Order: sequence, then C-alpha cells, then structure tokens
Amino acid sequence: MIKVSNLTKEFLQGQERTRVLKGVDLNIKKGEFVAIMGPSGSGKSTLLQLMGGLDVPTAGDIQIDGKYLNKMSEKERTIFRRQKLGFVFQNYQLLPTLTVEENIAFPLHADGKLTKEKNRVIQELIQAVGLEGLHRKRANLLSGGQQQRVAIARALVNSPTVLLADEPTGNLDRANAEEILRLLTVFHRENRQTIVMVTHDIFAAGFADRIILFRDGGIDQVVSREEGDYAKYLANFMA
Amino acid sequence: MSVKYGILTLLYQKKHHGYELKLELDSLFGIKGKINPGQIYTTLDRLIRDQLVSSAGMDDQERKLYELTPKGKDELEKWLLEPVPYTTTKEDFFFKWSCARKINFAQEKKMLEQQKAVVIKEVMELTKLKTELLLQGDESKYLLITGILLHLEADLNWINQVENRIH
Repeated sequence: MIKVSNLTKEFLQGQERTRVLKGVDLNIKKGEFVAIMGPSGSGKSTLLQLMGGLDVPTAGDIQIDGKYLNKMSEKERTIFRRQKLGFVFQNYQLLPTLTVEENIAFPLHADGKLTKEKNRVIQELIQAVGLEGLHRKRANLLSGGQQQRVAIARALVNSPTVLLADEPTGNLDRANAEEILRLLTVFHRENRQTIVMVTHDIFAAGFADRIILFRDGGIDQVVSREEGDYAKYLANFMA
Repeated sequence: MSVKYGILTLLYQKKHHGYELKLELDSLFGIKGKINPGQIYTTLDRLIRDQLVSSAGMDDQERKLYELTPKGKDELEKWLLEPVPYTTTKEDFFFKWSCARKINFAQEKKMLEQQKAVVIKEVMELTKLKTELLLQGDESKYLLITGILLHLEADLNWINQVENRIH
C-alpha cells in the first residue's frame, strides 16, 4: 500500500548539508494503523511530509497504491493528494472565519460544486465527530478539541485511502486527545483507511497496530501489537 | 494480590458462604479460576483464628456462612487507608539495570531497547482494552487501566532519558 525505499532527505543550512532521513525503508499494509514516534529532529515529521507529497525527497522512492509520488509533477501530486490523502495537523489548520460545515466542505470545492450527496456526507461527518448543532459556528470560536474534530471530518470528506496525522493530539489535553483518538479508531474500524500518525505521545501511539521508533534519521525499532492477557495486568496492578 | 483483604472486602458488604467467596474473589481480581478454593478456606481459618471473621450459621442450603467481626472491619479500613508502594516487574528492571551499570555491561543499550519494546507492547494492549472498557461503560476498570498506562508512560520516559544520555 505504502512502500518507502531508501528514502533520503537533505536540507541545506547555510553551507552545510543536513541529512534528516538516511535511506529509510518501510512498508505499510492497506488498512494498517501505524504510529511513528521519536525524539525531536529524528526525521519523523519529514517522513510524513514526504509521504503526503508536501515535499520531495533528495533520493529514494515513495509509492502509494502503486504510484510513485516522487515521479509525479507538482500538479499531478496535488491532484493525487486531493483524491487519495487526508491530512490532520497539530494546529488544526482550519480557516478561522469559515463555519464548521464550510471548513469540512473546503476540499470538495476543488472538484466542482457541492452536490446533494456531498452535502449528506458532510452532515453525517458532523454527526460522527459529535459536533451536531455547531454546523454554522465559526472555526475560531471553537475549542481546540472541537477544532481538531472539524479537521478530522475535513480530512475524511473525500474518503481518502490514506490518512496522515502529524501530532494530532499535540495541542490537546489528555481528555480531548483521547476523544480524538477514539474517533480515529472508530473511523479506522469502520472504513479500514490506512492511518500513519506521527506523535511523541505514547498514549496516542498506543492506539496503533504498529509503532515505529525513529532515531537520527532512521528506524530504530518496530513494535507490533500482540494479543495479551489483560487480566494479568489488572492482577499485577493490584498485587 | 491479597486473598485476605479480598475476603475482608467481600464480607464487609454481606455474609457469604465459601463458594460465593471464591466466585466473588475471581471477579474482584479479574482472573477466573486462578484462586485455589483451598487457599480461601485456609485463609478463612486464619481470619477466624485472628478474630477478624466469625461463623454466622448456615444458609438455607446448609452452607456455612461467614461474617466480618468489628475487629475485621477495623483491619480492612486501616488497610484501605494505607498508601501502597508501586511495585511491578519494572522494579526488577531498575535493579537489573543498576547491576548492569555496576559492571559496565556492554549491552546496556540492547537491554533498554528490549525493555522499551516490552513497555510499548503493554501500552498497545492496554490501550485496546481501555477503549473496549469505555465502550462497555466499565468506568472503574477503565480508570484502573488509565492508571497503569500512566505508570508505563513514566517508565518509557525514563528509558528514553537513559537512552538519550547514552547516544
């Protein structure tokens, strides 16, 4: 589904070349929920930006659904992004003066006017993220948790095959963070979208099927979910 | 886990016979069929000897009932109000890691990585369980799991800190 091979990214800082990604290889299966963790500067956000076609690699390949992102023209990449990818950012990136439904509808405008069907999808999403009654409220009047729910609905409005989330709970308190992750989990269960989430928060990463630990521009460790003996934890905790 | 305080807790609410106590203890500890009935009866004998529990006749099916004595009630309340030192397997890891440091163990990094993977796996499993408990509306177990997760997060932060100092 997502295949990253020998991915390298360098940035020029003055005279000096900084290598942020050092030949990363990674395969993500269709429908998998993957979390990428690592210290600041380890390259995790750069990887997500390259996967989202928001930047181009210095070397290496990124394939999504069999298409090479790095071989597309700028315009092709923009269209691919709009049709196949959904984005959720740490700072929500909503248009502050637009209403909840206008923000969610925003990605649809590029493909022409809103049809009755698309409007139905928007209303369903508003309900699914628990923002009933706030359709016409302006984004800048919402709380952080509410704004991120709008951002999730916006990311899903085009039914993307891949959802990319960069620190989606980074600006939220734990209760709101948990609510956002619960929503992502529910959507993931229902639609089996592939989710790649960058986070520094183990509480958030715990929702994933696989956690990839980054360090110094490469993969340090991969930890996959195993079915556990839950009762054991409760018993140990109360020992 | 303490069978003694489990029994005192159950008898605090009402009189029980032995088999009822076993079923209730399984449920209280969250592990089915792990408590040996024999262990319950020997604990009951000891509690009776220490005057924390007393016999309370028979039920309508001729099963022996037990009840809490005032002394048993005091004992339970005292225990409930005592703060508990946090002890799990991670304490063993702290000890092991200290030993490794003592001998300048060459594979400290590997030890940390392996321990980190164990912690992360536990977090993933518990997060899944937590979500299910929330959907089922089991608030108490949900909060317990949240408590364990906070401890695991602290462990992970500590391992990361040690790793950052090695790198």
